Amino acid sequence: MYLFLKEKWEVEGLQTVGILLVVCSSLKLMHFLGLIDISTPDSVEDDFELSTVCHRPESMDKLQQQTKFTKKELQVLYRGFKNECPCGVVNEENFKTIYSQFFPQGDSSMYAHFLFEAFDTNNNGSVSFEDFVFGLSIILRGTINDRLNWAFNLYDLNKDGCITKEEMLDIMKSIYDMMGKYTYPTMQDDIPREHVESFFQKMDRNKDGVVTIEEFIESCKKDESIMQSMQLFDNVI
Amino acid sequence: MASGVSGWLPFARAAAIGWMPVANCPMPVAPMANSKRQDELIILNVSGHRFQTWRTTLDRYPDTLLGSSEKDFFYNEEIKEYFFDRDPDAFRSILNFYRTGKLHYPRQQCITAYDEELIFFGIIPEIIGDCCYEEYKDRKRENLERLQDDQEENKDMKPPNMTCRETMWRAFETPHTSTMALVFYYVTGFFIAISVLTNVVETVPCGSTANQKDMPCGERYTVAFFCMDTACVMIFTVEYLLRLFAAPSRYRFMRSVMSIIDVVAILPYYIGLVMSNNEDVSGAFVTLRVFRVFRIFKFSRHSQGLRILGYTLKSCASELGFLLFSLTMAIIIFATVMFYAEKGSSSSKFTSIPASFWYTIVTMTTLG
Repeated sequence: MYLFLKEKWEVEGLQTVGILLVVCSSLKLMHFLGLIDISTPDSVEDDFELSTVCHRPESMDKLQQQTKFTKKELQVLYRGFKNECPCGVVNEENFKTIYSQFFPQGDSSMYAHFLFEAFDTNNNGSVSFEDFVFGLSIILRGTINDRLNWAFNLYDLNKDGCITKEEMLDIMKSIYDMMGKYTYPTMQDDIPREHVESFFQKMDRNKDGVVTIEEFIESCKKDESIMQSMQLFDNVI
Repeated sequence: MASGVSGWLPFARAAAIGWMPVANCPMPVAPMANSKRQDELIILNVSGHRFQTWRTTLDRYPDTLLGSSEKDFFYNEEIKEYFFDRDPDAFRSILNFYRTGKLHYPRQQCITAYDEELIFFGIIPEIIGDCCYEEYKDRKRENLERLQDDQEENKDMKPPNMTCRETMWRAFETPHTSTMALVFYYVTGFFIAISVLTNVVETVPCGSTANQKDMPCGERYTVAFFCMDTACVMIFTVEYLLRLFAAPSRYRFMRSVMSIIDVVAILPYYIGLVMSNNEDVSGAFVTLRVFRVFRIFKFSRHSQGLRILGYTLKSCASELGFLLFSLTMAIIIFATVMFYAEKGSSSSKFTSIPASFWYTIVTMTTLG
């Protein structure tokens, strides 16, 4: 270093700069390690930000008019809802956690995601009690057409009015994942694809590769076992 | 299944609509649960405090008292309530367990009373939530230790038929049990004090003789000090050998801290005896005598407080180590800075970084 720095003050100046650098970097290192705390007034974090947004549902009378549940049923539903979501809305993570507790042996996160999309009718990322109860009202107390409509809405992932084979495959895989590995007989990996094929064979009347809402409702109404299963929803609550 | 989500069961059943149209066979009929019965309020009367909850809340845990039919034994027909003659404060946390699924341990509650309540209501303590589990475990451990201490104090009753060896060990460990032990205790204490005192006085200048200036007392009255030293070392050796003989596990005794201190205290004397003729090593031998100061640590057998100090240092050893480490870091940084700052000046005393360590240490510890 002394080869090209002739003047004394240059040497000294460089040494001073070096010392300052060492001191500053060691202070920064100690701040980083948490030994000391250098904070300016602006950088103090606000720890008390309210991170959850609360929501209060509409009055019970209004809900009773809009859905087909009785007052007692609404009370039972709301108590269960509020127990798990004290702030009045469910976000997707919470929804998945709750749903996975009913299906512990499988991976129900994808199916829960599709369900969440179907319940969240206004697409704001959270399901309030009204959304919850409207959806349940359609499934449990609606007409056959309403229910089939709702199921079609669930399957139609991009909400474009028709179900493609890829959408159906996603749904099928999520259902099989949810059932888990403990099915009898054990599932091979290509079973979902075969299942999708048979579903399309049954539902797709004009063989154009997609299932529209009319084809879906028509085919389901013609199927005995589906109609029989639909009756079960009357007694759920 | 966690109890809290039982309210979402209708939702889970309704979600089955998703796989129904793709199912190949019709869905099986759902089990007809007895939830058709209207949910009713149950009144639990605990020593006059009325707690009310839904029946389904209590039914979440059917293997506890309140969740099973065992509570029918406490049903009072006249007042139509379930009456429990227990502590209402503890009952509060127990009822909250049914409501939230998490059992909390209230801090102001006595640990044994709380345990009894849990056992009565059939709840196992292991399900205490993470938030309160440590506190619960700590309190339980403290309680157990206190009980053990009490038991040990009551063990002063001399059990019959102890061998001579066991009697001696007991006398050494708990001196207040017999008079002989007490005498021995005080005698050894006295001799430790004498020994330390002689070591100190040995170095005091004693006044001049005709031909030499001030010499320390140790060189003036060599014989007297030697006799004193011999007597003390003999007492300590006898004590150490007796303890070694009486110890139930000799290997463990020899490894213990107190016995190592004993050995280090008497070793310089014997080494001195063996090597006092050789002039070359006498310099080292003199230095060895500094180890005689370890005799003062023998007092820790006599003083509980000193032992507690030792335990305290041991238990915060990691914190002290960290303090030392951070001091060293700061010393090195500042010494380096000082060295390079003073490098230009020719009359600087900081000839190298280690040379500036001394300056840094002295300044940081505010000695100046």
